[in-house]
Formats: sequence, structure tokens, C-alpha cells
Amino acid sequence: MKSSVAPPRLARALLRRALPDEARDAVDGDLHELYVARRAASGAAAASAWYWLETLSFIMRFTFDRVTRTMRVLAGGDASPSALDLKLGARMLARSPGLAIVSGLGLAVAVALGAGAYAVVNSYFYPDIPLDEGNRIVAIGKFDTRRHSEDEQLLHDFLVWRRELRSVVDVGAFRTIRRNLVSETGQAEPITLAEMSAAGFRVARVPPLIGRTLLDGDELPGSPAVVVIDYGVWQSRFAGDRAVVGRQIRIGRAMHTIVGVMPEGFAFPVNHQFWIPLRVDPRIAVAPGTGPDLDVFGRLARGATKESAQAELSVLARRLAAEGPAEFAQLQSRIVPYTDIFLRAEAEGEIGTYSVLRFLIALFLVIVAMNVAVLVYARTVMRTGEIAVRTALGATRGRIVAQLFAEAFVLSGLSAVVGLVVVAVGLRMFDHALAGYFEGHAPFWLHSGLSAGTILYAMALAVLAAVIVGVLPALRATGAQLREAMGGIGSGAKARLGPTWTVLIIGQVAITVAILPLALLKGSEMIQLAMRESGFAPGEYLSARFIVERDVDAPALAGSNDAVADSTRAIVTTLLARLGAEPGIVGATVSVSAPWEGLSAAIDADGVVNRGQRAASMTVDTSFFRVFEMRVLAGRVFGPGDAGLRISDRPVVVNRSFVTEVLGGGDAVGRRVRYRSFGNDVQPWLTISGVIEDFTPAVRHPGGASARGAAIYHLAMPGEMSDALLTIRLHGRTPEDFTPTLRRIATSVDPMLQLSKMSSLDAMYSEYAKGPVQLALVVALIAGTVILLSAAGIHALMSFTVNQRRREIGIRTALGAPARGILQSVLARATGQLAAGVVVGLVIAVAADELSSGAIMNKTALYLVPGTVAFMLAIGLLAAAGPARRGLRVQPTEALRAE
Amino acid sequence: MTHQGLGEFEQMVLLAIAHLRGEAYGTPIVDEIERRTGRSVARAAVYITLRRLEEKGFVSSWMGEPTPERGGKARRHVKLEAEGAKALREARHATERMWQGLDPASLRAR
Repeated sequence: MKSSVAPPRLARALLRRALPDEARDAVDGDLHELYVARRAASGAAAASAWYWLETLSFIMRFTFDRVTRTMRVLAGGDASPSALDLKLGARMLARSPGLAIVSGLGLAVAVALGAGAYAVVNSYFYPDIPLDEGNRIVAIGKFDTRRHSEDEQLLHDFLVWRRELRSVVDVGAFRTIRRNLVSETGQAEPITLAEMSAAGFRVARVPPLIGRTLLDGDELPGSPAVVVIDYGVWQSRFAGDRAVVGRQIRIGRAMHTIVGVMPEGFAFPVNHQFWIPLRVDPRIAVAPGTGPDLDVFGRLARGATKESAQAELSVLARRLAAEGPAEFAQLQSRIVPYTDIFLRAEAEGEIGTYSVLRFLIALFLVIVAMNVAVLVYARTVMRTGEIAVRTALGATRGRIVAQLFAEAFVLSGLSAVVGLVVVAVGLRMFDHALAGYFEGHAPFWLHSGLSAGTILYAMALAVLAAVIVGVLPALRATGAQLREAMGGIGSGAKARLGPTWTVLIIGQVAITVAILPLALLKGSEMIQLAMRESGFAPGEYLSARFIVERDVDAPALAGSNDAVADSTRAIVTTLLARLGAEPGIVGATVSVSAPWEGLSAAIDADGVVNRGQRAASMTVDTSFFRVFEMRVLAGRVFGPGDAGLRISDRPVVVNRSFVTEVLGGGDAVGRRVRYRSFGNDVQPWLTISGVIEDFTPAVRHPGGASARGAAIYHLAMPGEMSDALLTIRLHGRTPEDFTPTLRRIATSVDPMLQLSKMSSLDAMYSEYAKGPVQLALVVALIAGTVILLSAAGIHALMSFTVNQRRREIGIRTALGAPARGILQSVLARATGQLAAGVVVGLVIAVAADELSSGAIMNKTALYLVPGTVAFMLAIGLLAAAGPARRGLRVQPTEALRAE
Repeated sequence: MTHQGLGEFEQMVLLAIAHLRGEAYGTPIVDEIERRTGRSVARAAVYITLRRLEEKGFVSSWMGEPTPERGGKARRHVKLEAEGAKALREARHATERMWQGLDPASLRAR
């Protein structure tokens, strides 16, 4: 009993190590007592988890305490670093350029990652709202406590909140819609509009540049259709004409009167350039839980806080829950930071992911810094003699630590500057990507570029790195070992490289062996993807995204979905018919995604052993295979007869790779497959009606490594896809020529049909292939850093060993020992550590692959493992070769004279 | 001696020790602060503060007897010293002087 209730041993050992002598037993005993009590109350697992958390908290706080104490010692009196120390530091770096470059690069990559993540996370997740008292603007959201997810804010909620809430004023709502802006010449261009309450302009507290903003009266049904435009639109479309107010523009089906222009930079609520009123008819009663999905915002009333507003909102929600149906009880209303409006839509659940990422990045910096610290430590202990002399001459410990800190700071500071340059470039790219993602209009609160905060953060990282790199080894070197060295000044280092060192090297080799094959595989896949030609003749295919949006006033939206589907079908069918009649068009097809964008999904085949097969799933119309001229190998592709079937009864078409990869060959027609079921949600069986040839190699799906070529096609009719890709095959006309014609045809079919991102399929593919290359670069950078650091570590270890054993080697050489024997003994330790690292790495790689049932490595990467092992051994032995050769060249007389 | 001000958390720890009279050591101090303030306290912060207070001479400590239910480790008992009591009183007087004559209306958020 006595021993079985002890706290986790490893945690306890770590805890005791981290604590200073005078606190060690007391804390250990107190936590032990609490652990026993907790274990009795809530079980071993909970008690252990608690103990681990407490241990981590103690380690962090006491380490921080120790660092601040050291800094205080350094800052006081003669101990603070001087300009001379910095100069000395620079000179030390210049004297060992190899060490400086390797450590500097490692730190620069680590700082770049850390500061880059900081900049992105801060601007993305914790932005300042650049509006008057922006931090008092809030959003009101609903949360489903049973499903643990955000719930929609419906019109009814908004109306209740607006009517009842006192601690939030100017409660308003908006939704983003897309409409065509139709010019006088009939050209249509899709634009994004905010359908917003007039209250939005009061919340933002930004007056119009010209004319007026939206007013409450504009929201009433029957009031004239009005629109407010932004500065950019005013400049680009109306050439900054001050008489623009009162002019009419056609948006979708209706004419709107421009009533105002907002000043430059105004994009509230998110990234909008056009504002039309959100119409709410007060005469129509809106039932609870109905109406369109809206985003609701407001401003905290004078004297109100988020907490008081939340209290009022909760009371209101409880009252409503009591009146409504039972499932309302699980819905909670919450006051949330304004930018959650945007986050909820775009990055649900990503905050958690990002904080994990942040932690991992911080960890990466600490690991790199520890690594560099060990490299520097190896050098520092070699300087024990010098340090001992200086101590004997009267230098205090603080003074020496300060000098080593300054030396390290020269290195880490330079690295931080390099890292910041990388971050600046990276942020540019990120902004560019963001602008591309938002089609040139990022949310108004996202600021780009290096902020003062990011620079400060990078500098803080540099100081942290300097503390780890300089102060920790210095403290050790000036501690117990110094006393030994004082006994024999000039006899060289007696210091040892402890277990930390061994663990680091083994760990690095292991990580490299485990990760490199995967990185190589992914990287080569990505690069291959980018290098490949798409296989589409550049001038042959024109594609465009199209959206058919509903144009109905908000409260009347309870209307039937069937009517909407009918109108969509009519619009798309007319469009296809019109295109078919156009000269120079071979055919047109509608699919949910481009041929290379299928979703990778796990597939089970009837009568085939489950091996984790995956395939890319695509949804296409009946003319898809004809337009892309895909050869039918067996059975038949989709025909008009299939359209009448219910969606679950429709057959599927698969490609040649699907037959070999998923079905294991044989006759595929008539066989049944289904998507892998998770939980109780059993997926229906699908019958294969035909087999087609694969697309060109490029149009396989490299996104999911395990879906190498297998594809499965589902049928959807035009009306069933309201947001899809239209691809037109041309003959004798170029995509560029045809684009204006396509716009004109689309507008004449229906103003609600919006076409965007028109380009040749070939260009679209090149754009798509760009992203993975950037990712491959980042992967290569990180993998390269890890390899470089482990090689440097092995090199430092070998130099250190050889230096320490100079005397012994000298004696052995003098006694006639063969060079081979000496080399072997010198290499033994490095080889041992390499081997241990390789074994651990192999275990990790195989275990990860087994655990994921082949999904991570996809077996292919496993074949790369032996190569990686050989590579790592070669790197390690190369790193060891230089110092080993130096060892062999030790002259007995020299080595012994040094005594 | 130079004047040493007390941080808010230091005051809480000292007051908890005073409340506990002779029974103060790590765990009860944490409990006492949590019970009175209703806030949760990082245990490690309390130990770090105790160490600092002892260095300042505001508290003193001594080891008790090791016991088996503590894994054979002894308790470190702490006691408020005269310097500590003086610092607490000074901190209180300083705060009270700041409050004197303050119009409640001037605290209302604008």
C-alpha cells in the first residue's frame, strides 16, 4: 500500500530537480500529501494528471524565478554586460565561423517560426478593432451546449435581442450576399454585399464621405432600394464623381439608388464595399427558431461591461427557453469579441489548433536553443581554464556569466534580425495569400507587416535564447567544475558532457530518421505536382465558378427549397443550352470541383478485405466524361435515365486506378462499394455502372497521399449544384476571346447567375499547384535545420571527445598503437549514439505507420527509411571525420608537453 | 534599511500566514487565500513568494518532523516576523490614506 500511492516517479524526479535546495523537501512533501488525498477522493488517473500539471507549473515558475534572479545579479554592479563584452562576443563568433553559422541559422529559423506565428496569430485571433472604442463592439452568438458547437443566430433571436437588450445598444445584424452588378452595357460582374441593419453604421461611428449612410427607415419593406458604396468603388467605377449620389445601379434584378459613399478604409462589418439595408417587416411575426442565419453585433452601452451584458443576455435567454420548445434549453447566448463573427465562419475550432501550434513552435525554439546551448557549452567547458584564470584574477561569477551572456546575445540577436527579415518576407506572402483568398478584400481589422509587438517578441526570443545558450552553460561552467579546474589551471578541461547531450543527439537523429522519409515523400510529391503539365491543352478549356443565389427578402425566406432548386435548375439548364448553340463550343459541363480537386475518402468494397483504401470523390453531370473525352473501358457512364433516380439509388463510375487499387482488379461493373462508416452512421452501398480511363498523371490527387489515382464519380444534375465549376471546351476560339461572350450570355440568362474566377483550366491548375511548392519549401527548411543541428551536434561531440583525449591518444601513439584502433575508439561513442538514434527513429516511424494503419507513410515512405538511415549515418560520420583525423594527427611529444 | 514595498500577492500570503497563526505552511496558505478571495491560486507562486518573503526577513521558517503520509518529507512551517507585520501595517496605512476623502462619484466609470 505504502509504495503504491506514491505520485508519478518521473514527475516527482523532474519536480525535485527544478526546485532550489531550500524548497525541495517542503514542496515535495506538500504535493505528496495532496496527491494521496486526491487519489483517495477521485482515483489514480485524475490524481496523476493533477500532479503532472502541478509539476509543470512549479518547473515553469521556479525556472523563471531563477532566470530573473540571475538577470538581477547580472544587472547589479560590475556584472552587467558591457560594450566590450559585445565586441568580444563578435570576435569569438568570427573565430569559429562554422559554429556561428550553424547555430545562427538554427536560431534564425526558430525565431522566424516563433515570431511569424506570433504575428499571424495576433493579427488573426487577437486583433484590435481599428474603430472608435473598437473594443466595446461585440458580437452576440449562440452556442449549443449539447453538441458543443456554435449555433446559428436566426432572425428571431436578432429581433428579440434588439428589442430587449439594454446593456448592448445599436444591436444590428448582417449577412453577406453575392449579386451581379450589371453595367449599362449588360456586362455582369459578381460583387459581395453586406445586407446590414442601419445600426451597423452607428456602431462603427464612421460618418459618410458624401451623402448619407443607411437609415432605419430604409429597412422597412416598400421603401426605395438604396445602396451605400465604399471609396474604392466610388473611385474605380465612378471616377470619384461627387454627383454620384442619386445615381442608379443595377444589382441583381433590382435597380438601387446610391445614397452615400463611405471614406477610404471603411469595410465594416468585415470586408464589404457595398451596403444595402437588411429588410425586416415589423408586420410579419417571426416564429422562434426561424428566419435566415445572421451575424449579430452591437456596442456595449455606457457603463455596461461584457460581464453585465452577458448577465442580462443570459436572463433573457432563460426566459425565452422557458417559452420555446425543449431543445431551446440547450442553447446558450453569449456576448463574444466582435471578430468572432469572422472566426466562426472561417476558422471554427482553429483557435485550439493554433494554440497547440504556438506551443509546438515555442518548443521548437527551446529545442534549437538547447541544442545551440550544448554546442556552446562544449566550447565553454574547453575554456574552463581561461575562466579559472580570470576568476583567480578577481572576476566575479556574475561578471563571467555576463560576458558569456553577451557573447551569446551577439549570436542570438543577429539570428533574430535574420529571422525577422524572413518573417517580413513571409508576412508579405501571407498577406498576398490572404488577399487572394478574400479576392483582394481582407477583413478590415487584419493588419499586415511587422508590428512593434512582433519585433519586441522576436527580441524577447533572442534574449531567451541567449539565456539558454549563454547563461545556463556559463552557470554550469563556473559552478562545481570551476573548482576542479582551479586545482589544475592549464591542464585543460576535465568537464564531461552529461546525459542531456546524449539524449539530445539521440533524439535528433531519431526525429530525423522518423520524419525525413515522410518529408521527402511529401516534398517530392508536391514538387512533382508543380512540375507536371496539367495535361489540358491551354487553349481548349475555359472554366468559371458559378453561383446561383436566391433573391428573396429575409423574412419571406421560409419559402420552399424545392422552388429554389427548380429555379436553379432552370437557370443552369438554359445556360448550358445557350452555350451548346454557340459556335466554337464542343461542349460544356458542370462539376462540383475541378478534376484534380476531389475529396479523398476511405472506401470499402463489397467482398474485399479492408486495407484502408482511399479514393478521390467527385460529383459531375452527365456530359463531364464526354467533354473531357474520357475513354469508357467497361460498362456505361451516366445517362439521362440516371437523373430520374433518387440520389442514393444512382450508380457510380470509377476509373482504372480505382479498379486496381480499391477492388484489386477484375470486372468492376455491377460491384458494390461504399464510404467508410464512422460510428452508427452507416453509408449506403453504391453500384458501379462503368469504368473510365484515368485522367493524365497530373490529374491524380496528390493532396491525399493514399489516394494515388483512384477516383469515384457521382452524378448530380444541374439544379442540384448551386455553387459549382462550369467548364467549357472550345474549338477554334481561345478562352480569352470567349470570356466576354460568356459573361454576356450569363447575364442574359439570369442576373442572379454569377460567374467568377474565369480562366483557362490550364491556368487554374498552375495556380492550384503553387501552394504545395511553398509548403514543400517550409518542410525542407525545417528538415534541413534538424539535419544541420544534429550534424553540428555530432561534430561538436567528436571535437570535444578528441580534445579531451589528446593526452591519452598521444601516449597510445607513442606506444605504437595502430591508427585504426585509435580511430575506432574515437568513433565508438559517436557511432553508438547514431545507432541508438537510428533505432529509436525506426521504432517511431514504424509505430506511427502501424498506428495510422498505413495512412501516414503509405508504405512508400517506409521504403525510404533505409536510405534515410544511410544518409544520417553518413552525415554523422562525416561530422565526426574532421575531429577524428585531428585526433590521429596528435603528436605524442606535443600532447605530453601540454601536461 | 531601504523601504521595501509589498506586492498585492505578497500581502495576501502574509495575511494568510497571520490568519493561520501557528499552523502555516504551503498547503494551508494556498487554501486560506483561495477560501477568502474565491480565486484559484498557482501553488508554485505561493512557494516562490514565501522564499522571497523569507529573504526579505518578513517571515521565518523551520522544518517539522518527517511523516510517512508525506513520503517521508518534513513540513516547512512559516511564521510572521516583526518586519513582516510592520510591512503589512504600512501597506494598509498607505492604502487607507489613498482612500481618504475620495468622492464615491469619482469611481463611476465614464
